[in-house]
Amino acid sequence: MKRERVILGLLAALVLTACGTTSSSGGTSYQGKTIKLGALLSITGAGGVYGPQSRDGMLLAVDQINGSGGVNGAQISLEVRDDASDKAQSAQQAQTMIQQDQLMALLGPTLSNSAVAVHPLAENLKTPILAVSTTGIHIVPDCNYPSATPCKYVFRDSLGEQTAIPDNIKSYSEDKHPSTGVLLVAQDDKFSSDGGKIVQDTVGQYNINLLKVIKFSKTEADLSPYVTQAVQLKPDVIFITSLGGIPAKIMIEARKQGWTGQFLGGNGFNTSTVSKQAGSAGMGARSASAWYIGNTFVSNADFVSAYRQKYGKDPDQFAAQGYTAIKIIADAASRAGLTFSDLPGDRDKLRAAMETVNIDTPLGPFQFTSNHDVKQTVWIIQMDGSGGFTLVHEIKPTT
Amino acid sequence: MGQQVLNAIFIGSIYALFAVGYTLVFGVLDILNLAHSAVFMLGAAVTYSLVVNYNQSFVVACVGGVAACVVMGLVIEYVCLRPLRRRRAPPIAALISTIGLALIIVAAVEQGRPGSLFAWLWVDGANSVRFPPDIVPDPTWRVGGLTLEAVKVAIVPVSLVLMLVLGYLIRYTQFGRGLRAVAENSRAASLMGIDVDRMILLTVVLSSALGGIAGILFGLALSDISPYIGRDNVEIRGLAVIVLGGMGSIPGAVAGGYLLGLIEVLALVLFGSNVRTGVAFAALFLMLVLRPQGIFGAQLHERV
Repeated sequence: MKRERVILGLLAALVLTACGTTSSSGGTSYQGKTIKLGALLSITGAGGVYGPQSRDGMLLAVDQINGSGGVNGAQISLEVRDDASDKAQSAQQAQTMIQQDQLMALLGPTLSNSAVAVHPLAENLKTPILAVSTTGIHIVPDCNYPSATPCKYVFRDSLGEQTAIPDNIKSYSEDKHPSTGVLLVAQDDKFSSDGGKIVQDTVGQYNINLLKVIKFSKTEADLSPYVTQAVQLKPDVIFITSLGGIPAKIMIEARKQGWTGQFLGGNGFNTSTVSKQAGSAGMGARSASAWYIGNTFVSNADFVSAYRQKYGKDPDQFAAQGYTAIKIIADAASRAGLTFSDLPGDRDKLRAAMETVNIDTPLGPFQFTSNHDVKQTVWIIQMDGSGGFTLVHEIKPTT
Repeated sequence: MGQQVLNAIFIGSIYALFAVGYTLVFGVLDILNLAHSAVFMLGAAVTYSLVVNYNQSFVVACVGGVAACVVMGLVIEYVCLRPLRRRRAPPIAALISTIGLALIIVAAVEQGRPGSLFAWLWVDGANSVRFPPDIVPDPTWRVGGLTLEAVKVAIVPVSLVLMLVLGYLIRYTQFGRGLRAVAENSRAASLMGIDVDRMILLTVVLSSALGGIAGILFGLALSDISPYIGRDNVEIRGLAVIVLGGMGSIPGAVAGGYLLGLIEVLALVLFGSNVRTGVAFAALFLMLVLRPQGIFGAQLHERV
């Protein structure tokens, strides 16, 4: 029976190759096939601030690719699941997607906190997984931290805080030479505490004296006592490494208390939701971003206009990274020579092809480093006080 | 330190107003209405939606927000509490049914996005938003190194007036006497001709309205409205406040609110930020060990 199926499969492949179309990228024809992908995102819960945009960006890319003939003729199907920002749920859903739904590759999860459970699982089950918004440390290549063995199947197209925060501090220090700072950090969240650690490790290089590290809980209702503590030290800079509505709340409170210094942050700043919530209090708050909406190069301008047309609103960094993720996988799949009959083999071929991706994306020219991390231009942006951002500097990747 | 004491008073007022609603229901029914935190959030969310999505004035929106909470109070009584009371279910059943309702309310708001089923209620999903900055005049004064923000300063008298009105209602009106009678012994009250169901309904509705007002004030003062504002930290603090003050005691809830605010701030100043919540709850633990009835718990006649 099995042999018959293999022979039938081979025959079908032969026929398809003979009469099927070959895509523009020139790979094997996948006519009539479906590349089944899964997105594991936080649509609800704390990560619900980011997950929906990632999903919308991905769905836009899927629509575009399927609408223009697919990947060498194959359609992409994207199964989106909500992990409710919960680590345990995230791991459970990942397992279902990999083992039961037999998906070829996964995208996500939204939060670094969940990634520490999901990524080792995908690695173990030899399934490529592409992180689209996780920026914490020990995501790539050491997904099994504290083990230092590089994970083969885990990739990331989101700009890690390890790159973003130091780039931002360096750029601001060169501009304004601040001498003192205070760090406000949510201690019970991996993303936030990782960011805080990076700030503490970086400031010394630029002669910034960190006067105090003020820790609080991410669920804290009232942040004003912490802000009072920070403001009373009269620092030049307040560093904020936190998620969701926290950065905006801190900015509003600090401005109300009369502090006029500079806010510096990480990826937690990089969504219009935060900029909008902060309003005029956020004016000038700087962060390093993987993406800038105002970039006019073709791959970004096309993305921005298509997104606006489909959803009636502006995309943000998370949408751009979600969109890029699908483009990366589509490009890798087109070159991978997939068989669609041997799932473990296909997963491995896809993984190998992902390592050599080199495409233009809304984030700029995109490649992976040998550690499977993102290699791209970093955009230093600042909040414009009315829900948007303006570009301050552009930092090219070091080769 | 001065600024920190002010911070404590501002947040203490909101804790107190929130906890008063909690304790009111506990005093009458001897059950914790754990949907109270969701009602608190709903008040803020509906008011925000009316202002931003339906272009209503802030006053109209507040009335709408509180009205939504009153309706939710009716739901709590008719769906979660009364059917269980009829079947003489144990208090834990009511606790669970109110938790269930809280989860449903939070999930409904969380699902609210443009084009979704709940878009009429809320369109910002899990995001944290704030009222437009110019919605109420909010000048900031600097007095002797302290920052006084009008909105926060206003919260204190608003909360105190509401709590005084409630105190007056309970102590000096026919309704209040009925309520206290039901709290003391519902069977005896019923034999005296008091409509116990009506009293309970009024209590739950009143408590929900107060919860909604607390939610609106929270959203206004802390620039934070999201599906999670009730659940994340206010709920557990509200419980702490009523334990500190004495379960079922209204003056206790007020005193407990301010006390918890102060303890938290003192903990922050004296021991550092990462132990703030720990110290506050250690104080709560001490209170439970040394005076389990809370500050005002012994004065049974003060019970609602």
